[in-house]
Amino acid sequence: MRRNVLVGQLLFAVAFLGLWELASRMCWVDPADLPPVTIVVATLVDLLGNPKFLDECGVTLVRVLVAFAIGAPLAVSIGFLLGEKIHLGEIFNPVIHFILGVPQSIFLPVFILVFGIEFLQKVVFGITHILFVVIVNTVAAVHAVPKPLVLAARSFGASPLQIYLRIYLPAMLPIVVTGLRLGMIFNILGVILAEMYGARTGIGLLLFRWGEEYRTPELMAGIVLISVVTIMLNEIMRIWEHRLGRWQTAMDAR
Amino acid sequence: MNAIGAPVIEAKTVGKTYGVGRAPVRALDGVSFAVPEAAFVSLVGPSGCGKSTLLQIMGGLVPSTEGEVLIDRERVAKPMPGKIAIVFQDATLLPWKTARANVEFPLELQGIGAAERRRRSDDMLNLVGLGDFTERFPHELSGGMKQRVSIARGLAQEPRIILMDEPFGALDEQTRIKMGQELLRIWEATRKTIFLITHSLTEAIYLSDRVLVMSHRPGRIVETLTIDLPRPRTYDMIGGVEFGRARNRIWSLITADEAEGAVEP
Repeated sequence: MRRNVLVGQLLFAVAFLGLWELASRMCWVDPADLPPVTIVVATLVDLLGNPKFLDECGVTLVRVLVAFAIGAPLAVSIGFLLGEKIHLGEIFNPVIHFILGVPQSIFLPVFILVFGIEFLQKVVFGITHILFVVIVNTVAAVHAVPKPLVLAARSFGASPLQIYLRIYLPAMLPIVVTGLRLGMIFNILGVILAEMYGARTGIGLLLFRWGEEYRTPELMAGIVLISVVTIMLNEIMRIWEHRLGRWQTAMDAR
Repeated sequence: MNAIGAPVIEAKTVGKTYGVGRAPVRALDGVSFAVPEAAFVSLVGPSGCGKSTLLQIMGGLVPSTEGEVLIDRERVAKPMPGKIAIVFQDATLLPWKTARANVEFPLELQGIGAAERRRRSDDMLNLVGLGDFTERFPHELSGGMKQRVSIARGLAQEPRIILMDEPFGALDEQTRIKMGQELLRIWEATRKTIFLITHSLTEAIYLSDRVLVMSHRPGRIVETLTIDLPRPRTYDMIGGVEFGRARNRIWSLITADEAEGAVEP
């Protein structure tokens, strides 16, 4: 059964790539707009051998990782406070839900005015993309900690620290990791968007230029590369999420 | 018949009011009673009469507004893990830990060494009949089995007193009767003092030396019945005259108190 699914998915991938190649080669679409997949892949291989291109990728990667390294712990801490301190939560949780509903891209010009177009602005824009989704998930995670378990732990003589580390942490982890995974997706979106809109370096800038210069093989190669990297990242975090949440899925399934 | 010893639990005019301010709720009012060492005492009363509140006060989880509870003549102000273990209604097992790890968890918190933890979890899981299920996770166990793990976890802390808050309330009738018999066997084997909250009159009478009857909110103890049925108790006693008399007496006490909550006869 599982094998059949895998074979089906593989067949779909082959058909998709085949159709792409054929559509371009047979001029069903203008090859200038959509170059054949073989050419895109060849361009990508070239790019990956080009140190200057790799430098640009490195610049973007560093921005994404720095934003995550700052934004994730910050967001988890804020989310924990808002979840645990009922009065703080009452004040700020609605505010955060409001902000979450606003497309952050509209603030990009403001970010440029305030933070310029260099490293700092890219990282701050990435952090703000992480912040709200991770806060909301962390608050939900705190609220999902079963209160009877906390009561039981208190009856065993657990200290507040022991309750946080031994009850809260494991109970919250699956939901928090889901939030972090979404945060990472938004983070990459934020950084690349900021690079496309105004930057001197980064893969987002390259994509934007290739688009303007109508260099579709490079453009498509860049798109494929970023897609593959983000999909892999997402899948790795999903596997982690699944492992952490095994007991939870087992409970829900009952 | 048990040799009934000196009181190990004493409640002295315990009162509890929730939500001091505009709409305070009086949960308990002047609750006094004593539980002798090694006795099996049950508390019955209508739902919402403050039974669970009383148990949480006895366990040091919630402060009382007035009065005090003494355990071994010591005032309860916070949980006393060495003396009191609590078995809650829904087994409250950590879902990410195996049965064994759940039994050992309180011991770990209390800083007891690995070898000793292992010995106690082995002993207690065997005692409750789960020797073959030590490595199972809670979601792989039935409701009755989970509650057994919870009882094993209570016993493994080697307390003098076990407080039980409707431990079988969520189980079906058959499992419930079996668990009651199981609990009596464990009690005879370990000689702990057991204080059990239940809304089942049959369960209370069948298991206990004494039954405390609590009124509708605010909860007061309206009567203490001594159950003189011989031990070991057997299932057919439930149909007997003495059993019926005790049950009718409790039933009339509870219904006379304009009880709104559901009580099982």
